[in-house]
Amino acid sequence: MQIFLTIVMFGSLFSVLTLSLNLQYARGGMINFGVVAYFAAGAYAYAIVTQQPPKGLDQYLFGLGAPWWAGFIAAGLAAMAFAFLTGRPTLRLRGEYLALTTFAFAEMLHSLLVNERRIGNGTVGLANVERPDPAGIGLSEGYAYAGAAFLLMLVTALAFRRLLASPYGRAIDAIRDDETAAEAIGKDIPRLRFQVFVISAIPIGFAGALYAMITTLVSPDLFTAEVTFFVWIALVLGGERTLHGAVAGTMALVGFQELIRAIPFESIRAAEIAAAAEDVLTGLLFILILRWQPFEVLAKRKQTA
Amino acid sequence: MTRDLLVMDRVIKRFGGLKAVGGDAGLSFAVPEGTFLGLIGPNGAGKSTTFNLISGVLKPDSGAVVLDGVDLSRARAPQIAALGLGRTFQTPRAFSSLSVLDNVIVGADNSGETIGSAVFGRWRADERALRDKAAAVLARVGLADRVADCVGNLSGGELRMLEVARQLVRDPKILLLDEPTAGVDPSLQAKLSRILVDLHAEGRTLIVVEHNLHFLLQIADSVVVLQNGQLLSKGTPSEIKADEKVITAYLGTEHAA
Repeated sequence: MQIFLTIVMFGSLFSVLTLSLNLQYARGGMINFGVVAYFAAGAYAYAIVTQQPPKGLDQYLFGLGAPWWAGFIAAGLAAMAFAFLTGRPTLRLRGEYLALTTFAFAEMLHSLLVNERRIGNGTVGLANVERPDPAGIGLSEGYAYAGAAFLLMLVTALAFRRLLASPYGRAIDAIRDDETAAEAIGKDIPRLRFQVFVISAIPIGFAGALYAMITTLVSPDLFTAEVTFFVWIALVLGGERTLHGAVAGTMALVGFQELIRAIPFESIRAAEIAAAAEDVLTGLLFILILRWQPFEVLAKRKQTA
Repeated sequence: MTRDLLVMDRVIKRFGGLKAVGGDAGLSFAVPEGTFLGLIGPNGAGKSTTFNLISGVLKPDSGAVVLDGVDLSRARAPQIAALGLGRTFQTPRAFSSLSVLDNVIVGADNSGETIGSAVFGRWRADERALRDKAAAVLARVGLADRVADCVGNLSGGELRMLEVARQLVRDPKILLLDEPTAGVDPSLQAKLSRILVDLHAEGRTLIVVEHNLHFLLQIADSVVVLQNGQLLSKGTPSEIKADEKVITAYLGTEHAA
């Protein structure tokens, strides 16, 4: 039961990232290899806004001691601001050039968090991140945070679906399909691309805040390029065409990793072998899914039904 | 005399030192409102480049393109489109993930294309009317039975008609068509010819680049001939057919009247 909760919790949380990437990439045609940066921006913003002012050995400068909901809102705004900052100069780029620049921006944020200790204690990070106590609503922590993650995923998916099913979504699709033809019918491509880029960063920021609440720790090691590639793999696994594909791919990937990790080990040697086996099996699963594309088939069946 | 809707004033465009359009003096001609202008010339004469200069896909190196009194030299392609210029492309362009109907609706100026409208669902009020308008335009270009199709199923000729439909739904003041009959079968060509004659009769300004002179010279009311990016001749279709220079450069002797 515990493992099921963990899968729902992290599966839903990372699904928010995959959904946002789906909007940016599959609909907006923008390759973002810096997903983790918006996630980190959200997590750090939450921690900084909610934590107490520094004392003792703390090297960070700001601790606003604000309530959790203020931190949550700040997380969305921080991710949005970072998207604003990084999108302005880069979105004129296309394809792999955009991929490289977004990757570079994410690495820059990572080194900034490591080296500028006044933001979040450098490599040590911010521990004991404040979080609301779900006992107030009569829920255990596991259920409450799994529920919150699931709710965030649901709201994100519904909001994106509403956006994409409208004429706005149609214009976005037209731009991705053929920019020259879209300009010939008066579509303002830079503006629309920028909007999509910024909008899709907001849920990533919220997910960052929730992640900080769940782990009660934010530190640079949690926000490496591995997160970005994890989300990309999940998107490719689930198939980029549909929103439920993005969710299914993430759930499958998280579920698989959690199941492997749940195997009890007698010795350190066995744990080492299992860790190696996890990588091999992840690779195998990846190949098998790409070969048979089960989630795409499911999605198609659902559409025709 | 009607006013000039489009003026090309000493326009020069170079590609890496080569003068693609304009020669030394620059390309100049004016298109009065309501004209059906045929733009012809041998391959490489600069016809498509001229289109790209007018629609803002390319910027002139010198000279000015003026549409309805507005200098286009600083305007980007979407702004020029918003000023009422419609164009099609030499190779037809379609939005492959959209249905045939959506390919046309997306062409309309749609105030519902904003985030706010999407979030509050305000676009639904206008969508009905847009769909009806797009369906009517599709029927006009002979694609009435392909409305729900996906564009991948359309033939090359049908894609051209789809592009025309996407521009017509915007009610452009001036419509530029780049080789509309290329790859279009005779019956669809006849339909296209009727549509163009109707549009002209409605008072719309048209510029058509075309190699099919049999098609073009029957329906255009004036012709500009380009050669090596420069104006070789201009006049009515019958004047052009009789012009010695044009016959040697382009038409060939069998067209001599």
